[in-house]
Amino acid sequence: MDLTFYGEETKGLISVDPRTKVLIFITSSLVCVSSFSDLGIALYSVVLCILFALCGKPMTALKAGIALGVVLFVRAVMGSSQGAPELIVMILTLVTTSFMFAFPPIMSVLLIIKTTRISHFLSAFQAMHIPVKAIVPAAVFFRFLPTVTDEWNGIRKAMAFRGISLSPVQVITHPWRTIEYVLIPMLFSSISVMEELAAATMARGMDVDVRRSSYEKVKLRAADYLLIVLFIALFALSVIVGEMVKNGAFL
Amino acid sequence: MIRFDNVSFHYGGERGTGEGVDNINLSINDGEFIVLCGSSGCGKTTLTRLINGLAPHFYPGELEGEVFINDINVSASELSETSKVVGSVFQNPKSQFFNIDTTGELVFGCENQGMSREEISERLIKTEKDMKLHALMGRNIFELSGGEKQQIACGSVYTTQPDVYVLDEPSSNLDRKAIHRLHEILRKIRESGKTVVISEHRLYYLMDLADRFIYLDDGIITATYTPDELEKLSDGELSKLGLRCTDLNKLEKNPDNADFGNGGIPVIEAIDLNCTRGGNQILDIERLRLPEHSVIAVIGDNGSGKSTMTEALCGVGTSDGSIAFKGRYLSDRQRADKSFMVMQDVNRQLFSDSVIEEVMLNASVEREKALEILDKLGLKGTEERHPSSLSGGQKQRVAIASALCAGKEIIFYDEPTSGLDRRGMERFGSLLHEMRNEITSVIITHDPELILRCCTHILHIEGGRVMGFYPLNTDGVQRVRGYFMSESDENTSKKRKKYGMFGRVLKYTGKWKKYVVFAVIFMVLGAICGALPYAGIYDLLTAFLNGNGLTLQSTLPDIALILGAGILYAVAYTTGLQFSHRAAYHTLENIRVSLQEKLDGQPLGNIHDMGIGTVKKLFNDDIESVELMLAHVIPEGFSNIFVGSLILLILIAVDWQMALCSVVVLLLGYAASRQMYDVGMDKMGYYFASSKRLNNSIIEYVSGMEVVRVFNRSNESGERFEDSVYKYRDFGLEWYKVCWPWMALYGSLFANITLYSLPLGGLLVILGHLTLSRYILALCLSYALGPLLIHTLALIGTLPRVNYKIQSIEKALDRPALKSGNEPFKGTDHSITFDKVRFAYKGDEVIKGISFTAKEGQMTALVGESGSGKSTIARLIAHYYDVDSGCIRLGGQDINEMPLETLGDQISYVSQELFLFNKSIMENIRIGKPDATDEEVREAARRAGCEDFILNFENGYDTMAGACGNKLSGGQKQRIAFARVLLKNAPVIVLDEATAFIDPENEKKMNDAIEEITRNKTVLIIAHKLSSIAKADKIIVLGKGRIVEQGTHSELIKECDEYRKLWNATEESNRWILKGGADS
Repeated sequence: MDLTFYGEETKGLISVDPRTKVLIFITSSLVCVSSFSDLGIALYSVVLCILFALCGKPMTALKAGIALGVVLFVRAVMGSSQGAPELIVMILTLVTTSFMFAFPPIMSVLLIIKTTRISHFLSAFQAMHIPVKAIVPAAVFFRFLPTVTDEWNGIRKAMAFRGISLSPVQVITHPWRTIEYVLIPMLFSSISVMEELAAATMARGMDVDVRRSSYEKVKLRAADYLLIVLFIALFALSVIVGEMVKNGAFL
Repeated sequence: MIRFDNVSFHYGGERGTGEGVDNINLSINDGEFIVLCGSSGCGKTTLTRLINGLAPHFYPGELEGEVFINDINVSASELSETSKVVGSVFQNPKSQFFNIDTTGELVFGCENQGMSREEISERLIKTEKDMKLHALMGRNIFELSGGEKQQIACGSVYTTQPDVYVLDEPSSNLDRKAIHRLHEILRKIRESGKTVVISEHRLYYLMDLADRFIYLDDGIITATYTPDELEKLSDGELSKLGLRCTDLNKLEKNPDNADFGNGGIPVIEAIDLNCTRGGNQILDIERLRLPEHSVIAVIGDNGSGKSTMTEALCGVGTSDGSIAFKGRYLSDRQRADKSFMVMQDVNRQLFSDSVIEEVMLNASVEREKALEILDKLGLKGTEERHPSSLSGGQKQRVAIASALCAGKEIIFYDEPTSGLDRRGMERFGSLLHEMRNEITSVIITHDPELILRCCTHILHIEGGRVMGFYPLNTDGVQRVRGYFMSESDENTSKKRKKYGMFGRVLKYTGKWKKYVVFAVIFMVLGAICGALPYAGIYDLLTAFLNGNGLTLQSTLPDIALILGAGILYAVAYTTGLQFSHRAAYHTLENIRVSLQEKLDGQPLGNIHDMGIGTVKKLFNDDIESVELMLAHVIPEGFSNIFVGSLILLILIAVDWQMALCSVVVLLLGYAASRQMYDVGMDKMGYYFASSKRLNNSIIEYVSGMEVVRVFNRSNESGERFEDSVYKYRDFGLEWYKVCWPWMALYGSLFANITLYSLPLGGLLVILGHLTLSRYILALCLSYALGPLLIHTLALIGTLPRVNYKIQSIEKALDRPALKSGNEPFKGTDHSITFDKVRFAYKGDEVIKGISFTAKEGQMTALVGESGSGKSTIARLIAHYYDVDSGCIRLGGQDINEMPLETLGDQISYVSQELFLFNKSIMENIRIGKPDATDEEVREAARRAGCEDFILNFENGYDTMAGACGNKLSGGQKQRIAFARVLLKNAPVIVLDEATAFIDPENEKKMNDAIEEITRNKTVLIIAHKLSSIAKADKIIVLGKGRIVEQGTHSELIKECDEYRKLWNATEESNRWILKGGADS
C-alpha cells in the first residue's frame, strides 16, 4: 500500500463533506462494537467500500472489498463444516473476527485521511461553530502523518549505518531497546518540527480566539444528507440484524 | 515604520535558543530593505522574532523596551493582530506549513484574518500571477523541493499583503536556481514598496537589494553598512566579522587546499547505476569512479538525483548496478556497514542517552579511543551530556565521531553547512581537510564557499546523469564558479506521475487499451472453460461411486460439457490472443512514433553520442519486448491468476481444510518465486552490464577489422572480444546458478500440490469428515490449479527482462529535450554574440566562458589547435546542443527562444561531414531551398563552381548521388554543399573547415565559391589553413576552450605568440606541398 497521506478528492465522483465523513467514522465505530453478526457488518462494510470508490479511490476500495469477501467466504465455509482440528479453527476464527471487527473503523479513518484536505476539514467544522481549539488537534494529527512517515524513513536509513537491525529476531529478543532506538530520534525530531510549526502557525495569525473565514465553500449537500441517513440506517439495521441473529432468526 | 526603543530580550522558557539581544535601538523606514547579519547566535533571529511578535508571545522571556510597527506595540498586542501587518517566512521548509496542499497553504493567512471568500480568491489569483506559482497550485507540499516550498512560503505571505516582510534565513536549504527565484521574489516585494527585514548568512544574493546591512555581535548592534561599504571589505575583514562572502566572483580557493594529484585508487566504483521510482528514471550513471583520500562535492540542482545517488552508493537506497568499494563488489548491506551518512536532520541519527554511549553504539572501540576521537573533534567534556542538548554543529560532529569510531571508510554528508555561519562552515571544512588521509568524504552541497574551502573534486549531477567529474584545480575553480553564478532560474521539478511496470506500458496503448481489456475478458473466459471439464469429470465420478450405472444417456450432459468446454476454451483463447496481439502491435507503433518524436526534440549531439547501434536496438529489439508484455503477460497472467483464485475459492467451499493445506503450499511456493525474483534482480544488473560490454566489443571488433588486419593486431582485439564473451557466459551462468534452486523449489511445490493434499484428504475421508466424491473433486481442482500457476510463473519470470528493456526505452526518451521556444526571429540585425558561454561535452568542459561578437557583413574566423573548441562553437550556433551557462544571441535574440526551423532559416551551416542523400544531384542541391526551380538550382551550382564537373557526368544533374558517391571527391561534395548554401541564401553562414579539401588544382575554384557565398553576410569561418582567412575582418584565436586573443591578421601576427605559431606552421606546410608539386 502506498503510504501517501495526502488527502485529495479531485478524482472523486462525489465530494463528501468532512463532517459527514466524521459521522461515518462514528457510526462505523459503533457498528463494530454493537453488532455481532457477520451479515450486518458485511452489509455496512460493502456500502463503505462503495463510498470509498465514489470518493475517488476505486483501487483501494476494490482491494479492501476483495479482502472482505474472502474473509466472509472463509468464515461461511468454516461454519458449515465439522470435525476440524480445534486449534486451527480457533486461530482462523480469531483472525477473521478481528478483521471483521476492525474493518469499518479503519476504512472510515482512511476515508477521512485520504480524501480530505486539512483546509477543507478546518472550514467544515468552523462552519458548525465548533471552537477552533477543538478542531486544531485533529488537523495537526493529519498534518503529522506525512511528517512521521518521512521521519521514519530517515531513521530507518540512519539505523542501517549504525548496524541497528530491525529484523523480527532483534525486535523479539530486545523489544525495549528497539522501541528506544525508534522513539528517541523520532521524538526529538518531531518535537523540533512541532515547535517550529507552532511558531510558524501563530506568526501567520492562527489564533483560537479569532474567528476564521474560509476559502473553501462548505455546505452539506443532498448527497451528504443522503449518506448521513443511509449510514445511520445501516447502523440501526446491522444492530437489529445482530440482535435477530442472537435471538435465533435465520437459523 | 519599525521602531525598537532600547529593547533587550532574553529567553526565559524552554523554547528558543541563543542568548537574546541587548539595548537595541533601531528604526526602519517604510520600504526599506534591511539585512541582519552576524555569526550564529548573534541575535539576528531574535530580532526577527521581536518584529513578528513570536518573542515574547511564543518564546517567553524577559523583555525590556518596546517594539513598534507603525503605531502597534508588537510586544503588547496579540500575535493575530501583528500578523496582519507582518508576514513571516522561516528557515526550515519542513516545518512552516500548516496544510498539506499548496492552495490551502497560500490562503491560510487570509483565512486567519477572517477575510471574505471573494477577497481571498482575488488575492490568490494575484499571488499566483505575480509569484509565477501556476505549476505549484493544488499540489502536495511533501512532494515539492525545498526551493518550491520556500516559494510557497513567500507566496502565502504575499497573499496576506502585509506591510512588513520578515524572513529568517530563507536561503539555507536552497540550490542556486531556487536562490535566483528567491531573489526575484524579494525584488518584486521590494518594488511594491514593502518593508523587508531578512536575517541571512548568505549575503551575495542580497547585495543589489539591500539598503542597509545591520551587523550584530553578541546581541548588540555593532555596525551598520551600506552595500557599497560591505562590498569594499576584504575577505580577511569579512572573516574577522564572521561574515560570508559578498561576491561569488571574488571567491577564491583556500590556499591550504592543495591540488589533488591524479593518482589514488578508486575508493568507490559504480557501473551502470540505475534507479527508477514509480516508473520515473531517477539515476542513469554508466560509470563513476571516486578516488581515495579525496573530498568530493556533489553539486546539481534540487531533484537532480544527488541524494538518490549517494543513498544508492552507501547501500540504503535501492538501485540496479554494481558498486565496488576499494575494488570489491559489495552488496547493499555490506556497503552500509562500511559507509556512513551524516543527514541534514541530524536529530534522526542520534539514538542514545549520552554522547559517549552514542559513539560507542555497535562500535568495537575502546572507551579511551572513543574519548580521543571526541577530543579531536572538539567535543571534549560533552561525553556525558545528552546528544539533544548539544547545538546543531555539535550534533553533527557527534554523528561524525560515531562514524569514525565504527571504522567507516567513507562518510557522506547531506548539505552539512546549510544554515551554518562562516566560522561554522570554516571549522567544518578544516575538519574534512584534516580527516582526508583517513577517510574519504562525499558532500552534497549548494555552498560554493565550502567547496572552495575543502573539496578536491567536483561531481556534477543533472537529471540523474553525471554532467562532469573534475578535480578542483584552477580550471575546476572557474568551472564550479561558472556553475554557481549561471543565471538560470527555470524550475526543474515536475509533477511526477507514478507508473508501475504495467502502467508504464499501458499508457502507450492509447485507444487500443480496450483491446487489452477484451483480451483479458476472453482469456478469463477461456481459462474458466479450461477448468470446467473437471466439473464434468467430478459429476461422472460421483455417479459412478454412488453405484448408479453409467449409461450413455446419463453421462451425455457431462460429456457434452467436457467437449463444449474444450471447444469454447479454444475459441475464447484464440480470440483473446487475437485481441491482445492487435493491441500489442498497435502499441508498438505508438511507442515507435513517440520515440521518434522525442528523438526529434533531442539535441543532435545526444543522438550522435547514442550511436546508430543503440538507436537501432531501441527501435527494434527493446520495443519488441513490449509485445511479449502486452500480448501475453498481461492478459494471460491476469486470467490465470483470476481463475486460480476462483478455483481456490471453490476448493475452500469443497473442503476448507484441504484448501488450507493447498494455500500453505502455495504460499511457500510464492515465497520461493519471490526469492528468485529478488536474487535474480540483484544479479540482473551484472548480467545486462556484461551483455552491453559484449555488444560494444562486437561492434569494436567488426568496425576495427580493417585496422586490425592492416597492422596485424588480430590477437589483441580478438582477446578483448573473447574476454567479453567469457564474461557474458560467466555472468549468465551465475544468474542461472542463483536462480535455479528457487526455480526448482517453486516448480515442484506448484506442480505437486496434490502430493500434500492427497494424504490429508485421505485421512479426512477415513475419519468420515469428507465424502469420497468431494475428495476427488478437491483433487481434480488441485490438478487444475498446478498448470495455471506454473504458466503464470513462467510469465512472471520474464518480467525482470521485459522491465529492464522498457526501462531502457524510457531512459532514452527522458533525456531533456533541446530548449527551444516559439518566438519568431525578431533580431535587429544578424550579428552573432556569445555571452560567457560554457559548455561541457561528455563531462569535459570544452568551452570555458567564451564571449565574442561576429558582426553583420563581416568575416570572423576561428583559429586554434585541434581540440580548442572551434567546431563546437559552430555546432552551438547551429543549436546542436544547449549551452550549460551563458547565452548565444542572434541579432540580440537568444537562440533558445526560437524553434529550430526559424533558426535554420537564418543560418547556413556547412559542417565537416558532408552528407549526400541517394537522390539526383539536382535534388541534393535543392535541399537548400525546397521550392527552388530547376533554373535556380543550376544558377546556384554555377556560382558554386559545380556545373563543370556535374555536366561531365553521364546524366548531368540527374545523376544519382548515391550511385556516384564514389566518383565525387571531397572537394566536389564540398562545392555541392556550397551550392545548397547559395540557394538557401541565409543571412548567417557558418563554415567549418570549408577549405579542408583544397588541393592546388581546385583551390582557385573553392576560394571563388567561398567568396561568392560569403558576400554581405555574417560569416563565421573555421580553418586550419590560415592563409585562406588572413583577410578576415576579425580573427579569434582559441586555446583549450578559451579565447586567447582577437584582432586582425596584422595585429595578431605582431602581438600573439599563439597565432604566430599557427601561422608559421601553415606556411611551412604550404611550402612543403608546393615543393612537392614542383618536384613532380
